Amino acid sequence: MKFKSVEHVRAGLAKADYICSKTIATVVFLAQATQKPVLVEGPAGVGKTELSKAVARSLQRPLIRLQCYEGLDESKALYEWEYAKQLLYTQMVKGKIDDVISGADSLSAAVDRIASQEDAFFSERFIQPRPLLQAIIAPHPVVLLIDEVDKSDPEFEAFLLEVLSDFQISIPELGTRKAVNIPFVFLTSNDSRDMSDALKRRCIHLYIDYPERDLELEIVKLKIPQIKSRLAEQLIDTIRKIREMDLKKKPCISETLDWAQSLITLQVEDLSAEVVRDTLNVICKYRADVEKVKEKLEKLIN
Amino acid sequence: MLNLILKFVSCSRATGLRISTSEVLDCFNQLKLIDFLDEPQFAAVLRANFAKSRREQFFFNRLYDLFFHELRQEPNIAQSEPLSDQVRNILQSLASGQDDDGAFQAVLDFLGGDPLSFFEQMQPASAAGNQTGGGMSSNLGPMIQRLSLMLQINAAGDALADYLSAQRDHLPWEIRRDLKELFDARLASARRLLTKERRPFGGKTRKTVSYQQHLDRLGEIHFASLTVKEVEGMREVIEQLVRRLKDTLGRRYAVKNRGALDVKKTLRRSAGYQGIPVELFFRKRPPRKAKIVTLCDVSGSVWSAARFMLNMLYSLQECFTQVRSFVFVAGLDEVTNIFEDHEINRAIEKILKEADIEYNAATDYGLTFRQFKKNYMDILNKKTTLIIIGDGRSNYSNPEEQILDEMRERSRRVIWLNPETPYFWYSGDSEMRTYQACCHEVRPCQNLNQLLDFIKSLVL
Repeated sequence: MKFKSVEHVRAGLAKADYICSKTIATVVFLAQATQKPVLVEGPAGVGKTELSKAVARSLQRPLIRLQCYEGLDESKALYEWEYAKQLLYTQMVKGKIDDVISGADSLSAAVDRIASQEDAFFSERFIQPRPLLQAIIAPHPVVLLIDEVDKSDPEFEAFLLEVLSDFQISIPELGTRKAVNIPFVFLTSNDSRDMSDALKRRCIHLYIDYPERDLELEIVKLKIPQIKSRLAEQLIDTIRKIREMDLKKKPCISETLDWAQSLITLQVEDLSAEVVRDTLNVICKYRADVEKVKEKLEKLIN
Repeated sequence: MLNLILKFVSCSRATGLRISTSEVLDCFNQLKLIDFLDEPQFAAVLRANFAKSRREQFFFNRLYDLFFHELRQEPNIAQSEPLSDQVRNILQSLASGQDDDGAFQAVLDFLGGDPLSFFEQMQPASAAGNQTGGGMSSNLGPMIQRLSLMLQINAAGDALADYLSAQRDHLPWEIRRDLKELFDARLASARRLLTKERRPFGGKTRKTVSYQQHLDRLGEIHFASLTVKEVEGMREVIEQLVRRLKDTLGRRYAVKNRGALDVKKTLRRSAGYQGIPVELFFRKRPPRKAKIVTLCDVSGSVWSAARFMLNMLYSLQECFTQVRSFVFVAGLDEVTNIFEDHEINRAIEKILKEADIEYNAATDYGLTFRQFKKNYMDILNKKTTLIIIGDGRSNYSNPEEQILDEMRERSRRVIWLNPETPYFWYSGDSEMRTYQACCHEVRPCQNLNQLLDFIKSLVL
């Protein structure tokens, strides 16, 4: 399946339970049309990861996820030789090896014979593909999500360049593996450091901000259908006011949804200062933030 | 279309966005795929290709507005075609009257709808700061540049007004009115560009104000108001804390250390068991350590905070690959050696006596950055965390924030610790607002609790 137009992207993502702005839809459409990776930035919890999941759902492609962290290296991201398995096999087929070299009249002849068999041990059988290689060799098109790429080291970022521009991976023992289908790549970043220019140049950039009021309202209604319009509107207005405050961690969409869900569970019909005080822990994840919001509670509700 | 976008690109480059040719090509390819008459889509394509970080987006949005909205022929003028001819004629006759002054011509071009040369004129204004350093350290250079550009705008405005009133007999009044409206709007936007060339504030820089309360009494006292006796007590407390921190770290690395299988070692050992790999060996992964560069303002009150931070950093030295430290007032000196050769508390005393620094001079951050750029820029790389401790009070000299920006480009993180109360940060000669935009994080650092919180986030 493929997206045919920007509108089609919007409709498709909405069907996959993801409501997006026109900017997001345009970028997703272009990324697909030009087969370029998308670098998604934005505050935590605005749905960066969710976007790639939604794209995977609506295109009916499997999602392969690579979570980046400090110290992530090629053996965790690309592939790894299964040494233990190789050693085990060597032991088990030892008898067979004797067969192969029996009858060789000199040492060098025996070595030659073994050399002609060595591919048996450096073959796909003993390789363990990690997310990047998985995405490259997958027989069907996939969505590849490289999550929190800013957490990885600069070395890894440099190494990503080859993968992202040529969609190929060289394994010294086996040769170069080229992508069967170019994967749809998303990279997400929380801006804990600036990405290199070279990486940015290869990507289409997308900044997702907190959504507009109407869009957020739509999202809440979609994800929690049983919510009443009045409550939903009150909820969004309050959240937006809280976001304007100087907090350690601002509440994002996922917190809005959690909050709405808990209000439904508590069977709240009308948002009062009392209710907000009791449920504040859902929205604010730091004690200092909770205190700060509590101080301004009266103003928030009116 | 092609020309329009290329023009937009060169304007963007003139304002400092870095756009490569391949990005321009991408942009054209993508425009073919969408309905570019729909503005949100058009803007999205341009933004996705040209502004590839949050900081750049601010400049991009402003330029986009200017280029595609303000500088177009005003929509309320019905007969825009003849008017644009008029505009051209007027500007030409004005230009011929002048001897060739780049700035004036740039302003005229801007009025005619081509902002490129205007931006180029504006740019040296901020770039010139690099060279004018030398002996005189002031921000007069760039300011004068800017001022002359401003004067040219006013001159152009006057010339236009004169011209229009002189043409009273030749032009019908509606056209004169429309022309006047158009020019006034553009002159206003040119002025706005000049005066408001400020960074977005707060946008992406993390500001950490809240902190955990590790210690009740000693932890809450402002560094500057510690008595001699309390300073002694502080040393012990710091020692304890550092020891505890090291323990936590040690435990973490022990778990994290196991790496991939060490084939060589395993095979070598297996020779003793007839080739059966009985014992497996794993490579130890060396813990990844950060490199730290600190720049400490040692004037007056800031020093009391800086000394404690240096104290902690050097006690934790084995958690980092390298710590290099610099102190400055007006001018910079490296003090890494003093710390390496002496015990920490002696080193701190020694710095105050021996470092090659004029302690009585007025603090000058701009000069400090210039010297750093000249001598030490190459020690920053993508593994470096740059920590600056200072109040940002630069005595109204040139802040040179573009050098700090360059330093940010090179290093992994830039963190600014400010020993002043956040309430006073943006008052008087404090350049915090300017510098804040260049940092990844700013923190107040007034007492031990805040300092400890910071150190913890740094090593853990």
